Amino acid sequence: MPVFPSVEWFEAIKNIVNNDPAFRQLGTIDATVGVKVGGKIYELTFEAFECTGVREASENDLRDMDFWLEQPYDSWKDMLENIKKNGKADLSHTLNTIDLSTPEGFAKSHDGYRRDAFYRFNQSLQDFFNASSKIETQFAAPEAVAASA
Amino acid sequence: MADTMTIPEALRAKAQEKGWPDDLVQQALAAGATPEQLAGYMDQGVTADQARQFLAARAAGGAEPSAELLAAAQAAGWPEDLVRQALSMGAAEADLMNYMSMGVTAEQARQFMAQGAGGAQPQLDLSWMHVPTEWNTRARPTKHGLTLEAINIGKYGEVPDTWPYQTEMPRGAVPIPGVEGMGYSIFEKQEVWSDACARLYEEAIQRRWRPATDVPWTSIEPLPDDLERAICQICTHISEKEQMEADVLGRWEPEISYGYHEVKLYLATTIFENARAVEVFRKRALSNGGGLGIQSPGWGFRSVVDARNFTEMVAVQMVLQDSLTLAQYAWCYRYAKNPAEEFIFGHALQDKARHLAYGVTHLKYVMNHRPDRREEVQRYLDKGETMLLQDDRKDPATREAFAIYFGGSKENIREGLHVYRRMRKMFLEQYLARLQWATIDRTARLMPDLKAQLEA
Repeated sequence: MPVFPSVEWFEAIKNIVNNDPAFRQLGTIDATVGVKVGGKIYELTFEAFECTGVREASENDLRDMDFWLEQPYDSWKDMLENIKKNGKADLSHTLNTIDLSTPEGFAKSHDGYRRDAFYRFNQSLQDFFNASSKIETQFAAPEAVAASA
Repeated sequence: MADTMTIPEALRAKAQEKGWPDDLVQQALAAGATPEQLAGYMDQGVTADQARQFLAARAAGGAEPSAELLAAAQAAGWPEDLVRQALSMGAAEADLMNYMSMGVTAEQARQFMAQGAGGAQPQLDLSWMHVPTEWNTRARPTKHGLTLEAINIGKYGEVPDTWPYQTEMPRGAVPIPGVEGMGYSIFEKQEVWSDACARLYEEAIQRRWRPATDVPWTSIEPLPDDLERAICQICTHISEKEQMEADVLGRWEPEISYGYHEVKLYLATTIFENARAVEVFRKRALSNGGGLGIQSPGWGFRSVVDARNFTEMVAVQMVLQDSLTLAQYAWCYRYAKNPAEEFIFGHALQDKARHLAYGVTHLKYVMNHRPDRREEVQRYLDKGETMLLQDDRKDPATREAFAIYFGGSKENIREGLHVYRRMRKMFLEQYLARLQWATIDRTARLMPDLKAQLEA
């Protein structure tokens, strides 16, 4: 059972969407997207019709990404549990809603143009996270993982 | 006699180039072929061996027809002498069988052969096969397929700063004199270009959606009257402005010369997406017992329609106005009342973000290549913002409809207005950030009333 957050967890989602014709039907997606969970950062690369890469990244890498999604670990957990329960995010847990409901911002970027990729590919990104309903996720706060290491 | 035929110099040179020996050319001329015909065959890639075989078959009176061919000919009403004549002229049995099965009559076949047998020889020009375009171009598909960027190879990918042709000649083709102008008025790259337009075109094509069948229309259930009226008013407002954008872009399309076809193609997808938005919002308004609402005052629309140059239109429509529309879509997606509205706003949001991407990248291109236009663009935005504010003041219907939709009812309109103000603030923050990316600092120059909304 993959642990969230981890490269293995994102790889599992990547494999699901890359084998899902419905994801391809949403159209091309070209973006480098960060996911920031507590002190952990992951970089997802999307190219053409698939997710082509997942890796752990650093704070410095954020500058090179189109945008990154950032919220506390508990909020990520809440979002993913909601997706698991409903098969997809309900309206209170979509990426768009979280972005509008987070005063300090959820989809962040150093670049006023590249940040709009969050909107341009919004339904593909939502589909990516919705695919997590198809796996069993084990949750572990990054701080807890770091402390036990 | 073949050896007495004189070979024209031009034909001899071509024959040498194509590997046809002199004796073969003389033989063909003696058999009745004209120099122009022979040059044409050589250009079409007919080899010396093929030509020899053809001439030999013709001299031998053609091949003996098979029993199967004769039976087919009898069934099709072709006399045997006609079949033998066709074979003697080099026709293949399989081809003749095909013609017969296709219903070609004996008379039609005779007429065709009469033309090919020296009666009325078609005089081919074929000079078009020698124009100096860049030949041997082999574009290769990428992970995205065979895209516009993938075919921008060599001369075909050179986008000139100034396009010198008034006609519809495609970039990379060869002009001919005397063609009438097509009425284009934009011939400078900086007036229309965006480095992203080819990619945005492909993205728009790949990410298309179909309102009639993709939207889960049956998920819409009756809403309280105030909410249904609110969403119908929002749909009326959006239908109006998307139609206006389509109309305006449609007017600019024929102004842009063919040298910048990437821009023309991208704008065509934008017009299509505007049309799709008109369609889907009208459908939503008419699908749940409601109807259309009141029209908008149209101050902002007019500022776009009145734009006198393309960059002015882009700055006001595809950066300022579309930043507001994107914020409206994002917040309506957040407060959607059913899966159908969730789908509609979520997908319209993506389309609108692409329109903005073109607008912002165009402005950046202008700023990088014509920094002297900076103040000009600021003035367009002054005007656009003023008209947008006028809309805000004169259009309580749209503001109240959004507030009721966000608040969930007429009773909660105060909460809804709070969300409405957050939406306006987000629009302004993103509008300024996009302009900043395009190297246009608008912070100090923002219209005072908009600045007040930003700082609220």
